[in-house]
Amino acid sequence: MISCENLCKSYPMGHGIKHVLRNLDFTIQRGEHVGFLGRNGAGKTTLIKLLGGVEMPTSGKITRNMSVSWPLGFGGGFQGSLTGYDNARFIARIYGQDYSDIKDFVEDFTELGRQLKMPVKTYSAGMKARLAFALSLAIEFDCYLIDEVILVGDHNFHQKCRHELFEKRADRALILASHSADLIREFCDRAMVLEKGHGTMYSDLEEGLRVYVGL
Amino acid sequence: MTPLRRGLDIQVRVVKALMVRELITRFGRENIGFLWVMVEPLLFAVLVGILWRFEKGAMDHGISVIAFVATGYIPLVLFRTSISRSVGALTANASLLYHRQVKILDLVLVRFIIEFIGHSMAYIFIASLLIAVSEFPVPTDMSVFMLGWLYWGLFTLSVCLICAALSEMSDIVEKVFPVTVYMMVPFSGTFFMASWLTRSFARVVSYSPPVHAMEMMRSGIFGPAVAPQYDLFFPLTVILPLMLLGLALCRRVRRTMVVE
Repeated sequence: MISCENLCKSYPMGHGIKHVLRNLDFTIQRGEHVGFLGRNGAGKTTLIKLLGGVEMPTSGKITRNMSVSWPLGFGGGFQGSLTGYDNARFIARIYGQDYSDIKDFVEDFTELGRQLKMPVKTYSAGMKARLAFALSLAIEFDCYLIDEVILVGDHNFHQKCRHELFEKRADRALILASHSADLIREFCDRAMVLEKGHGTMYSDLEEGLRVYVGL
Repeated sequence: MTPLRRGLDIQVRVVKALMVRELITRFGRENIGFLWVMVEPLLFAVLVGILWRFEKGAMDHGISVIAFVATGYIPLVLFRTSISRSVGALTANASLLYHRQVKILDLVLVRFIIEFIGHSMAYIFIASLLIAVSEFPVPTDMSVFMLGWLYWGLFTLSVCLICAALSEMSDIVEKVFPVTVYMMVPFSGTFFMASWLTRSFARVVSYSPPVHAMEMMRSGIFGPAVAPQYDLFFPLTVILPLMLLGLALCRRVRRTMVVE
């Protein structure tokens, strides 16, 4: 379970303060698939970063009672100057896993072949997404945090994600931030709509999507 | 396993992984790789040593000038390089914070450890070389030397923590730190023994922990010939509060850090 109490996040902006998230309260149980909907700049990515522990809340509290992945997105999680293999080795080391297992999985999932011997900064967005997914799926988490990134892949990548994430790991919790209503409809059970820093959770997914489309 | 033990295990694992990563990104896998870290202190010690050798002659205050310069410059270069590596270290490595087990303390620690190991190797290398050509005495007391080197390292690390955190809070730090490091030179004991100074100046520098560390190191190498003046425990009374301050600042900066 992940629970957030009175979660606030603000950033200094010029001489003022920008309140990105105000007083969010919600819990996410094991196995739940939750979508975060919101327009650009609504705070989806910020919320995902807070849940993943990448940034700290300005006030409020997050309690994690299950293992939570790092936020899967375009940046972060791996280093551009290192090769795909070096990144895999690094992840294996810090998560205390066997490198050869992770290596096999990454090779198989990404289908990047010899490109894995090149620095990640030379990869296209789609290739980065493949690597990011492969690395986080190679470590078993109870909850995966996914920020948009699923959108950039090609058809084959989508099929693989669906298989690995939504079929093989259907029992895991999943938090998906997106501004694509279709994606949320396809993969989530309920949705939270973020607007002006406030978040409203809709257990009726269609109602949430209606509110979002009406924004 | 107790939580403390488990936390320690994770931290050791993370620091090891970060060190390998840092070595690959900084030095690559080609030619001499990690050994590059020794090059700067070695060049400094050798070139300045030669310069002083011509300026002051082979001996000064009864000890070899080249040995004296080497014992001073290697710690000084360690201090300077470590500080400059710690300024901006957090922003440069922010993407690593995506993994919750990586703490910003680890980021600073790793950069420092690499410098510390590199400079220790440079020290051993140059000392062996100079001993072979009789320009360097065989150390009289390694334990005092090691304690001094340890104090010097801990002092450097505590300043690194403070600099890493402050440079995150304000851009000014990045601009003024080279001057501050330069001002530190007279308070480092690099170019003198306290016993060579006037009594009043010696009293002033005796408040500086690196001077004690430097006197200890030289005492271990040259022995009583240089009349070392140090207090075994005084450096800790400054280093420990500095270390706490550095850790507190790092903790504070983490709370507001923006990670792309």
